[in-house]
Amino acid sequence: MQLLDIKNLTIELPTEDGVIRAVDKVNLSLKEGEVHALVGESGSGKSLIAKAIVGVLNERWRITADRMHWRGVDLMRLSPEKRRKVVGRDMAMIYQEPRRSLDPTAKIFEQVAESLPDECFKAGFFGRKKERKVKVKALLHKVGIRDDERISSSYPHELSEGVCQKVMIAMAIARNPQLLIADEPTTALESTTRAQVFRLLKSLNQLKNMSILMISHELEEITQWSHAIHVLYCGQMVEAGPTKKVFTDPYHPYTQALVKSLPDYAHGLGHKAPFYALKGTIPPLQHLPIGCRLGPRCPQAQRECVATPVLVKSHGHSYACHFPLNREKKKCNPC
Amino acid sequence: MLDYLFRRLSLLLFMLFALTAFTFSLNYLFPGDLLTNFSGQVNTSFSQSQMLEEKYHIDDNVLVQYGAFVSRLFQGDWGVSLSSGQTVASHVALLLPATLELCFYALVVAILLGIPAGIITSAYHKKWPDKVISTLTLLGFSIPVFWLALLLIMVFCLGFGWFPMSGRIGLLYEIPAVTNFILLDIWLLGFPYGGQAFLDALHHLALPTVVLAMYPTTVLTRFTRDSMLNVLEQNYIKTARAKGLNRRQIILDHALRNALLPVIKQIGLQFSTLITLAMVTEVIFSWPGVGRWLIDSIYQRDYPAIQGGLLAVSMFVIFANMLADLTHSLLDPVSRNQSHGKV
Repeated sequence: MQLLDIKNLTIELPTEDGVIRAVDKVNLSLKEGEVHALVGESGSGKSLIAKAIVGVLNERWRITADRMHWRGVDLMRLSPEKRRKVVGRDMAMIYQEPRRSLDPTAKIFEQVAESLPDECFKAGFFGRKKERKVKVKALLHKVGIRDDERISSSYPHELSEGVCQKVMIAMAIARNPQLLIADEPTTALESTTRAQVFRLLKSLNQLKNMSILMISHELEEITQWSHAIHVLYCGQMVEAGPTKKVFTDPYHPYTQALVKSLPDYAHGLGHKAPFYALKGTIPPLQHLPIGCRLGPRCPQAQRECVATPVLVKSHGHSYACHFPLNREKKKCNPC
Repeated sequence: MLDYLFRRLSLLLFMLFALTAFTFSLNYLFPGDLLTNFSGQVNTSFSQSQMLEEKYHIDDNVLVQYGAFVSRLFQGDWGVSLSSGQTVASHVALLLPATLELCFYALVVAILLGIPAGIITSAYHKKWPDKVISTLTLLGFSIPVFWLALLLIMVFCLGFGWFPMSGRIGLLYEIPAVTNFILLDIWLLGFPYGGQAFLDALHHLALPTVVLAMYPTTVLTRFTRDSMLNVLEQNYIKTARAKGLNRRQIILDHALRNALLPVIKQIGLQFSTLITLAMVTEVIFSWPGVGRWLIDSIYQRDYPAIQGGLLAVSMFVIFANMLADLTHSLLDPVSRNQSHGKV
């Protein structure tokens, strides 16, 4: 069953110099128990999409979508209060800066305990305090925090960034959500904690059948265990499909550049060998090119690219490009 | 925390030193005879002058004089007022409580009205409650306090005759001064008509309190609103919202606690403005407080009284500031563990 089904999600920012379209007609669908990765450079609108799904974007952003279905219910048509309830029950989000996402004046225990839903308590009013303690302890243990006594009685500013991230994850999984949106959960962490966090998310997916929408820069890590990948460039979805397919033969020049930019240590790098990268830089949001936004940087670009390419879908692998790569039919007997 | 307290108090010592040094230097800076400025006694005979010179160490160097000045301050010997002939310390002890009483009630009104108003405006940001309250606060913020006082007197005293125009209590009641806080004194006295006296005192308090509370109320409203709006933008509020908490929980459990911390500091900073405004209010309502007395002393060139009043008022402001600062550090977990105090 489709868990999340988004069609033509557009996020715009009205400014004095006209409307900036930060996310342009993005489609996304996610099945139960799948791990999807949202990949792109910073500023490509990944976090905006995540926040739009959860509904925590500022009021100055204008969000439109043909549909944003969550298990058959259109989130866009719900009242804010109802939507908050649905989102709070079924989804959870991990933010980029864990320490700033925790209330500086509340102890960790209170913050974790607060995210436990009321339904999960079996005891009556009097046993609840004890039960809450047990549950918080279990949650902290689950995310790999050993000295729960000390952590739960500290304030966020007394803890390291990694521990804060784990606390965030503990809060996120407290309600047993069906979808976990992880917005660059590992950018602020050092590599050992990073590996721990990835392992934790992976086990959550495998053991609890939790779907995960992963926003990350860690391409190599992501390719290992995500089922599908969505590549964004400047707010446009350039390619989406099963991870393996996208990475082995990408159709879109940007995806190809992304794959090529991963240094291949297995075959050794030459002394001072240049890394592969597209020429130019990402345009700022005020100066987005018309048509295909990759146009000015694309090695394949031709005159047709001034028109926005339509998303073409074949075998669950969709791409938006006028001149896709790797599309000529493979011959049966190459000779 | 004890460490912090100790450091904070040592900073206070420096501030008090600066304050007393300034007050001491006023003796030299004021026109007139040095001995008169120190003692407040005019037209002294030769033998009296001899005695005073010895007491005030006029012949010794300035440091010794300052030392003697500070020790006299601690002994409660603040000199004698030129105009009344009574000791300055007795004046201050009698008048400062009246001012404190007025300021205290004004501040209580400001906190009780201003902070909820600020919360309401931020909760209904850009909707009609926000617009109405913001406009009103701007109005209250910009009205000169003396004009507001005159206006209220014209309407409520002369027009409707609901409130008395001046003084602390009607002439019918004779309240002996114990603490000099009038409501407290009436309660302590416990005489048969205490209830009526209490009501009368409240009647007298009403207009000055309203006038004095206007400025801090509007400032607190605006400050609370800005602080709340700032906090509501923070990431942890988004996290709380994504957790599925409702609006009430978010505001009461997370936003308010964080937003009120800077407001506590602001309350401390409001004290100096409050005292200044209290002086104007006291003059208009003939409130027997230290502000009116100070202004009268300035008119009468009563130098010892000016010194004493200045010292008392400044000391009070410094202590109030420090108290607010300590409360802030006590409540804020982030600054609680800082070991260095700040002025």
